[in-house]
Amino acid sequence: MSRKTNLIPYLLISPYVLFFLVFVAFPVLFSFFLTFHKWNIISPMEYSGIDNYERMFNDRLFWKSLRNTIWFLIIHIPLQIIFALGLAVFLNGKIKFKGLFRSVFFLPVIVSGVVVTIMWQQLYGFNSGVLNRLLVSIGLVRVGWLTNPDMAMPSIAIMATWKNVGLYIILFLVGLQAVPAHYYEAAEIDGASSWQKLRYITIPAINPTIFMVIILSTIGGFSLFIEPYVMTGGGPLNSSLSSVLYIYKQAFEFYHMGYAATLGFAFAFIILIIIIIQKKYIEKEY
Amino acid sequence: MKKAIIYIVLIVMAISFLYPFFWMIMASLTPEKQIGSLTFFPDSITFDNYTSMFSKIPIGRALLNSMFVSSVITFGVIMLGSMVGYALAKTKFNGRNFIFYLIIFTMTLPFQITLIPNYITIVKLGWVDQYTALIIPFLINNFAILLFRQSFMSIPQALIDAARIDGCSEIRIIFQVLFPSIIPTIVTVGILTFMTTWNEVLWPLIVVRDEQVMTLPQLVTLFSVGGRADAQLGVKLASAVILALPIMIAYSFFQKYFIQSMASSGIK
Amino acid sequence: MKLTTFLLLLLAIGTLGSCSTDSQNKDDITFWSSNASQEIAFSKYFADKWNEEQNAKVHCQPIPEGQSSEEVIMAAVVGRTTPDIYANMWQGLVEVYAKSGVLIPLDTISGFTDFIRARCGDKIIKEITSSDGHIYQIPWKINPFMTIYNQKEINKLGLEGAPKTYTSYLNAGRAFSKDTDGDGYIDRWIGDTEVKNIWHQRLNNFYPLYLGASHGAPLVKDNKAAFNNEYAVGVFAFLQELYKNGYFAKESNTVGSDKFLAGSTATKWTGAWDVSYLERYKDEDFEYNISHMPVPDDHQGEVYTYADPKNMVIFNTCKNPGLAWQFIKTLIDDSGDLKFMELSGQIPRRQNLKENELFINLLNRYPKLIPFVDQSEYVYGTDNCEVLIEVLDIISQEYEFCVIHNKKTAEQAITDAAKAVDVLLGNF
Repeated sequence: MSRKTNLIPYLLISPYVLFFLVFVAFPVLFSFFLTFHKWNIISPMEYSGIDNYERMFNDRLFWKSLRNTIWFLIIHIPLQIIFALGLAVFLNGKIKFKGLFRSVFFLPVIVSGVVVTIMWQQLYGFNSGVLNRLLVSIGLVRVGWLTNPDMAMPSIAIMATWKNVGLYIILFLVGLQAVPAHYYEAAEIDGASSWQKLRYITIPAINPTIFMVIILSTIGGFSLFIEPYVMTGGGPLNSSLSSVLYIYKQAFEFYHMGYAATLGFAFAFIILIIIIIQKKYIEKEY
Repeated sequence: MKKAIIYIVLIVMAISFLYPFFWMIMASLTPEKQIGSLTFFPDSITFDNYTSMFSKIPIGRALLNSMFVSSVITFGVIMLGSMVGYALAKTKFNGRNFIFYLIIFTMTLPFQITLIPNYITIVKLGWVDQYTALIIPFLINNFAILLFRQSFMSIPQALIDAARIDGCSEIRIIFQVLFPSIIPTIVTVGILTFMTTWNEVLWPLIVVRDEQVMTLPQLVTLFSVGGRADAQLGVKLASAVILALPIMIAYSFFQKYFIQSMASSGIK
Repeated sequence: MKLTTFLLLLLAIGTLGSCSTDSQNKDDITFWSSNASQEIAFSKYFADKWNEEQNAKVHCQPIPEGQSSEEVIMAAVVGRTTPDIYANMWQGLVEVYAKSGVLIPLDTISGFTDFIRARCGDKIIKEITSSDGHIYQIPWKINPFMTIYNQKEINKLGLEGAPKTYTSYLNAGRAFSKDTDGDGYIDRWIGDTEVKNIWHQRLNNFYPLYLGASHGAPLVKDNKAAFNNEYAVGVFAFLQELYKNGYFAKESNTVGSDKFLAGSTATKWTGAWDVSYLERYKDEDFEYNISHMPVPDDHQGEVYTYADPKNMVIFNTCKNPGLAWQFIKTLIDDSGDLKFMELSGQIPRRQNLKENELFINLLNRYPKLIPFVDQSEYVYGTDNCEVLIEVLDIISQEYEFCVIHNKKTAEQAITDAAKAVDVLLGNF
């Protein structure tokens, strides 16, 4: 090999290395450095020791936003799996217009979250929203979708499910189609019920997909921003304050860069821990 | 009987997936005072919301900005991603595995860590309100690199060796010899990149405050939370319709590709 | 490959569309006005006039859209993308920017001090002078907060005008707030305040009510919270009562259409800009009038309110501050102020407005502005506190808990807010 050919791979990967240094390595180190400082960018930076960490542990809103995110995940993940799996099972049968249904369910996936949020904010309206008018017309009572502190996060979770379920339907369909048809035939001969077939054939087959839905939803839950930003501003009573919205507020409303960096570190750490736990327990299940 | 239930469920679900879009489009064509009672069709149709919205915000400009930014990023991600992917798949060099694991590591790194320092970098580089701030940080996409690496690995080495003997440069090997055989990957990376950049809001909100440089989803977001709409709902909905339309039109033509690409993003 | 062609086409369109940025002369001035359409029209009118006569052009544009203009300006300061002139600076922030050195000390421009003294008088000059003795802002306009009310609906309650004390306001709330269509839900309210927890929203309701009740007491004094008093508690208790009984609508104003215009709220607390807004969007037979905001039942003397002062500043990114000042002068001389008042319905911050023939004529044509002009003698601006935004944010948090959701008593909420503010000020 000549020297020249040896250089080429390095040239090819150099854009990546440059990117890594500027937008990954430096920021992580700099962010860590920032957590020990107080800085609003225009004034000189001040060393503040572990003040930011101390403040965070005593910050009601930090814990609140963390609880909100977990609450979101507790509602969102089961909803997501039930609807996606249910609809995928239906679509996996002999159904007419299968492609059409699939395209319709997929539509919200490709549309910007901003559109979805603006739309649903109006549908969720307490006084004149379509959903409440529907509920009243069938004899039920109005729901304070976005005005009741106990409902705001569940409402966002329902909307997020509506937005993403199409993608997971497709993923489940891929998983379902990989199950050999003779498994079901054999089970039928043995007299297995539909539930048993679902429990012992379908679910084990799509277990990796379920795991992926959980991981992706967890990351999604911790990335919630535009939904509360547009719909509720984090309220009522901070009940829809998401982790990213809280970082955004500290950084770009109050310019507490050091504290915002501390929050960023903490949330990233929490996400990684949660994902590691999920990996350990859910992957082992079956 | 069972079939009937399945169809009913599917149809009800399908309606619930389409209705919000239908409502939004209808509401954007409804006079302001009637939006509150709109269920299906308004009593009268008006385009005032659109004309008023166009005069309030530079939405045409934002549409072009979004197209420009998303196109450049998509182009860059395909070019750079395939170069790095090729190097990882088909060349040997010291630290190849190290780079590979670095990419995996970067992919799992939550963006919450880098958000604040990256903003400060943009400020210090003087890129605030510039297209560079919207484009450069997105030109490398770890997932795209991995996809390219994977599809290059499945290409027989003989093809590359033959091209080298013919005196092709590595760049020509990637873009002329190998590209035709990895078109599905290019399409997947292209659609995914285009869509994620098109829909990105948080980053533009942070680094761009000049309306002439704002992307479409960013402008629509700010229009809906800001003051220029004069608290009129119709104009906000009209702007949301404009944001939804281009991608819905593209989707109606290339549905299959959209669904396939998005699905492959899930199956890593 | 249909798709690649499609993508290439997009790339082509995108590139074409985004190449053109207008070239700028080095002496040109960028001018940011507020977001209101009337103010956009106002600044464009004078910029066009200026551009006809001068070589250095003025490029005016509304401040980029954002959740609050304060957030946008702060981002521009940090990113060093500030305009030469910003015409809608909240007075509460000028001191912060002056201290960080991004504003031009205007008293160093020749002719500035004399002009401003003649226009505004010594009292205002004193108010706007920074702690370092320089002046960094040009007092421009105010919008005293008042009650605008739906005349017909108020008459139906047997009242002449808007209720002026807490008790009478609550009584009007009891009489007016109803379920009109019998679906079991109140759909008509005496008024509302924005329920989203956004700090600047509290300048539209809590703060003017507090100033009114207390004859202008500060929020922060000697670097300590100064609002832990009967007045703040009274305001919270009053508003809490309104929400608790369903007299105020609990939904954010960003959902649905304007409730006041639709007649589903009977009063709103707002500034003079609202007059031109109402004139533009109201139905023909909609009648409204203006009175001061409600005060405690035993209130004595004049009713003060929040002035919402917005001023002009020149940023240090400006290459030719002298020229920028020349342009600003055209906006705030007699003809400028007159045009401004006519287009926007807001009140120029100048002395002897009611004795000036030109303005008297204008007010005769726009009688709805007279109450605001009268009120503008009894107004306060904001406290001179560097972390005022955070103070208001803390109050806004407690406002949500206490006033809107009735989770604690007014006393408790104000005490908690004052404690949090003291912690905040201790840290700074």
